[in-house]
Amino acid sequence: MKNSFQKINKEVLGLNRRNQDYIRPYNFPSSKAIADNKILTKRILRKELIETPEVYKLIRDKKQLEFLDWDSLPKSFVIKPNKGTGGNGIIVFYGKRKGENEWIRPSGTSMSKRDIILHIENILEGRFSMGSKKDSAIIEERVKIDPLLKQYSYKGVPDIRIICFNKVPVMAMLRLPTKKSDGKANLHSGAICTGIDIGTGITTYSMHMKKSPFLSDTYEMIDTTLDLKQNKPLSGIQIPFWNELLEIALKCQKVSGLGYIGVDIALDAEKGPVVFEINARPGLGIQVANQTGLRWRLEKIEDIKIKSIKHGIRVAKNLFGGEVEESIEAISGRKVINITEKIYIYDKKTDITKSSSRKKNNKELVRAFMDTGVLTSRIDPKLANRIGYLKAHKKFDKSNIPENFNTFKKAQEYIDKNEKMICKDTDIKRLAKIIEDGEIRVRPVFDVPFKMSKEYKTSEFISSKSSDNIYPITIGRADLFGYLIDTSNTF
Amino acid sequence: MFETTKITEWILNHGISQTLLEIIIAMCIVATIVSITRYIIGSKTYGIYAPIILAIAYSYTGLRYGLAVTFVVVLGSLISYSILKKIRMHYITRIATNYTVISIVLIAFFILIHRFPLGLENMSNIPPLAFISIAALSDFFIKQYIKKSLKTSLVTLLGTVSVAIIGWFVITRETFSNFALNNLWIIPILAVLNVLLGMYKGLRFKDYFRFGFTAKEDEK
Repeated sequence: MKNSFQKINKEVLGLNRRNQDYIRPYNFPSSKAIADNKILTKRILRKELIETPEVYKLIRDKKQLEFLDWDSLPKSFVIKPNKGTGGNGIIVFYGKRKGENEWIRPSGTSMSKRDIILHIENILEGRFSMGSKKDSAIIEERVKIDPLLKQYSYKGVPDIRIICFNKVPVMAMLRLPTKKSDGKANLHSGAICTGIDIGTGITTYSMHMKKSPFLSDTYEMIDTTLDLKQNKPLSGIQIPFWNELLEIALKCQKVSGLGYIGVDIALDAEKGPVVFEINARPGLGIQVANQTGLRWRLEKIEDIKIKSIKHGIRVAKNLFGGEVEESIEAISGRKVINITEKIYIYDKKTDITKSSSRKKNNKELVRAFMDTGVLTSRIDPKLANRIGYLKAHKKFDKSNIPENFNTFKKAQEYIDKNEKMICKDTDIKRLAKIIEDGEIRVRPVFDVPFKMSKEYKTSEFISSKSSDNIYPITIGRADLFGYLIDTSNTF
Repeated sequence: MFETTKITEWILNHGISQTLLEIIIAMCIVATIVSITRYIIGSKTYGIYAPIILAIAYSYTGLRYGLAVTFVVVLGSLISYSILKKIRMHYITRIATNYTVISIVLIAFFILIHRFPLGLENMSNIPPLAFISIAALSDFFIKQYIKKSLKTSLVTLLGTVSVAIIGWFVITRETFSNFALNNLWIIPILAVLNVLLGMYKGLRFKDYFRFGFTAKEDEK
């Protein structure tokens, strides 16, 4: 219990620390003013050629509202407060009813021109703005949802939130509108949040706010979408334009001057990534979506000097990528390893189960190749000699074993006849028949203690000197039980 | 009467009444309670003003009467807003109409209590300003209801009333009140405590529920 609390304290970023360690020192008032003003944000982002939804009209006061040319508006548009927070006051219109002054909302209901005017007046009076101050209303382009993400969301536009700090994208999530959220991608309104692996742009865990009357900020894990005709699994979705999205988020950070920023990007079916807004005080729900804390990530990159946007992305992918593997591990109970992995080979005397013995004896870091084509693992004779099998090898070499055999049957007959004699008084555990350089040979088998992917064990290794194998160790099927091999990372 | 220290005596002889001094101390105490509940526990209130005013109002009305009026004000606000939201009207006029409706509801409530006391006798002896202070809660409640949601507003209301009750409990203890009046150094101490709370970076109690996932990972 105590450890759990300590772990949460160490890993998770709370509101107190976010405000004191990240927002106050890194987000200056001038930068916050940009983020809190949607029109200003659009202007600054456009200068850097970052796409944002096109503004049709900006209404600053009632007079401008009075003279608004309604006929010049397209059929579908969005009305939002310039200084609104938390998605409040945003209304989306899908189209206009034929022959009537009424516009259709995502829920299918319609709103008359008088109702829309009243809503805009409420925006101008500051009903949705920070501190209830007077505000402006923006009428802007409605983003057309990317066909891939459309399958996962209920009516509204899904968006991708990326948090960047010190020019590094630190964490990301996909927010999917639901029926409960009334088409809004706001977590507090009931939208789904799905964690995204920074390394690959593939979705991992998905969360949904609990229907609890008093614990307003607690979530429950879900596997599939909600409220759709055919609900789909949420993990494993490859977010399109992933690298581009990371680049855009970092560009937004650069131009806004915000040291700690949350960038909301939507994927438009025609334009591609479009920045909805930038946030100077991004919420902390992203940690729940990713099932990991922000604090340790932020601390890890605080002192790194990032030279360019590409460098920032590379650092993020190397440090924080791999959530997909963890997610697969959690679901399947199997660990994901690369096709080549660095492993530790211990001296033959090592009792691998005891840490004192592991510390006392020598070990060697080598690159191993995962080969599901062989059953028993292989070790290069030179490496085997270095960990203490030199004498055993010498005795084996003196045993005058034929260089090769015509058939496996003959090799097996030889083993049955001579194994006991050859293995007597040596460290050779048994003899094995293998194909080496295209020939059937008999080779010695040793017990080798090793550490692979945080797992310590001793296993049988055939001493093999195959000329086409560049790796000193080949891990065979017998030692790959419980692992999934990722073939994308060959080198 | 109780015996006062020299500094308190001096203050009381220089134009500050004992009641005013008590209210000032109460204000500092409730403000500190709000800070603790916000930054250590993570409970939301309608800012810092509403719980202070409520706690002080409760100390004048008594908790029973205070809570009864709070309940009537919230219920009145809810009913009035539910009706008003169907009518197309401006934001500020909506809030103003809401206040008018609450005034009517409160008058009706006081008449009803006069007729059927329901354990709330002697309500007329309570200073009216205390009731008006409680009625101001309606503004906070409705504003949050309009801006966010009924659920959020109710949760915040619960937090505000809970903090006000704690504040009321502390400031109405005679021993504590006398102690604070005679030990005015607690005011700068409370200021220091608030500065320390302001620098607190740790997780709020509520965060442990919200971010309990790291512990669950271990259990897996």
